[in-house]
Amino acid sequence: MKMKNSKLLTKRDLMKTFWRSFTMEWAWNYERQMNLGYAYSMVPALRKIYGNNKEKLKAAYQRHLEFYNVTPWLSTFPLGISIAMEEQNELDPEFDDASINNIKVALMGPLSGIGDSFFWGTLRVIATGIGTSLAMQGNILGPILFLLIFNIPALLTRYYGLFIGYNVGSSFIDKIQKTGLMDKLTYGASVLGLAVVGAMVASMVTLKMPLKIGSGAEATTVQKICDGIVPGILPLLFTLFIFWLDRKGWKSQYILLLIAAIGIFGAWSGLLG
Amino acid sequence: MNVYLTAIILALIAMLGNGEYFLGSSMLSRPLVTCTLTGLVLGNLQQGIIMGATLELAFVGSFSIGAAIPPEIISGSVLGTAFAIGAGKSTAVALTLGIPIASLVLVIKNLCFIFILPYFVHRADHYAEVGDGSGVSRMNVLGGFFSVNLPIGLVVGISYILGSPVIKVILNAIPQFIINGLGIATGLLPAYGFALLMKMMINKKNATFFIIGFALAVYLKISVTGVAIFGACLALILTGYSAFNGKPIVNMTTNSNKTNVEDGGIDYEDEEF
Repeated sequence: MKMKNSKLLTKRDLMKTFWRSFTMEWAWNYERQMNLGYAYSMVPALRKIYGNNKEKLKAAYQRHLEFYNVTPWLSTFPLGISIAMEEQNELDPEFDDASINNIKVALMGPLSGIGDSFFWGTLRVIATGIGTSLAMQGNILGPILFLLIFNIPALLTRYYGLFIGYNVGSSFIDKIQKTGLMDKLTYGASVLGLAVVGAMVASMVTLKMPLKIGSGAEATTVQKICDGIVPGILPLLFTLFIFWLDRKGWKSQYILLLIAAIGIFGAWSGLLG
Repeated sequence: MNVYLTAIILALIAMLGNGEYFLGSSMLSRPLVTCTLTGLVLGNLQQGIIMGATLELAFVGSFSIGAAIPPEIISGSVLGTAFAIGAGKSTAVALTLGIPIASLVLVIKNLCFIFILPYFVHRADHYAEVGDGSGVSRMNVLGGFFSVNLPIGLVVGISYILGSPVIKVILNAIPQFIINGLGIATGLLPAYGFALLMKMMINKKNATFFIIGFALAVYLKISVTGVAIFGACLALILTGYSAFNGKPIVNMTTNSNKTNVEDGGIDYEDEEF
């Protein structure tokens, strides 16, 4: 894959990011999820871009240690864009470095929405289906085909994603920046990103209250009453509650312990199920 | 084979399984792979493959998507298979041992996530502040190794030495509501990830889009990808790309794309989100 002409980076530098992106989920943590993997993948490129500009380099390291989460096989696409934007940041003194993370975050929701349903929902189902049906008969081809069917497309996506991301980044970010459209792009990206986060809250947070109210034929559950008001209101309220705790400055360890405690208490008392 | 040597090899298989996250999220942690390797080590490859297929189907719903942490399938598969083959038992035994082990080890894994990994995350922040890129890189590699990889290896190795009777006693000693409660907590945990995302993106003005995404998902039962499509269109409308600009829309073909950039529209055609 060709990369657009670059003043600061070579294809070799991007390949370092490619290999390092393999560790995207290695130090996945509850607090900032893939932040360590993302920063790790950015380090060689950032070093090359900023060289002796220590202050900008420090800011860039910190920038990429912020919260990040994306379907891992697609992670190279935002990485490519980030690298192109960091490069622009070094070359153009007018560049607003806040836009680097804005674009990165805006891509997170849509990319994960598409990526999760393609890789988890489609590719893995196909690989598992073929793999298990052979493995059920004790055939060694089962596990081997399972790995090949999944990993070949995953690797190709990872490889091309990086260069496509870099090329998109270097040609458009520059143009958009010069025509003053960055604000528009950031705004549009936040519209899209938040809609996806809203949908993910509805579909991926699970909170059920099977507690019965009344008896006999009149009996109904708390769950049904709540869903009668707004479907999925319990996961939504719970997410807003955690959001509020985080705003109040609760440390991540305490929030995680609280969630575990709520789960255990809920199971013990029969309130949650 | 010596029981200690076997235990070490099984621990290494478990670490290789978790090594998936160092090696491009390549599905090495799935039962189809780990059970096959366990069968190979214990001298019954075919049985291992068949157990792998059975456990794979049992765990098919458990994968890390978004912020959710699934049961620790690696230790469940390796130990379940090892105990079942060792005792000359059937696939069903691997399943009945594997699933409770997986939920038990998830508890241990979560403890590591809450108490060990945050140290590395915050250490990386410190290295970024002083501009030490190698330090940031080191925290990624060591963080994943000490907080997740090594503990899983130790759990598998030690459990194998203790043997299945001891493990059964430990499993029975844990009250059911704790295991259920942690199951409920894993359904709630994604809320924390989404809360952190919202903290980065949301403000009073754009909260509307979060509500739109949520409402589309709960009322119209649209998938996350579907919401992403609606969100993208909404973003195009709101940023003015699709607004009426006085020109007849049918003539807006190839040529007008170029002029659009100067007009104040973004060249979305080539944007490749």
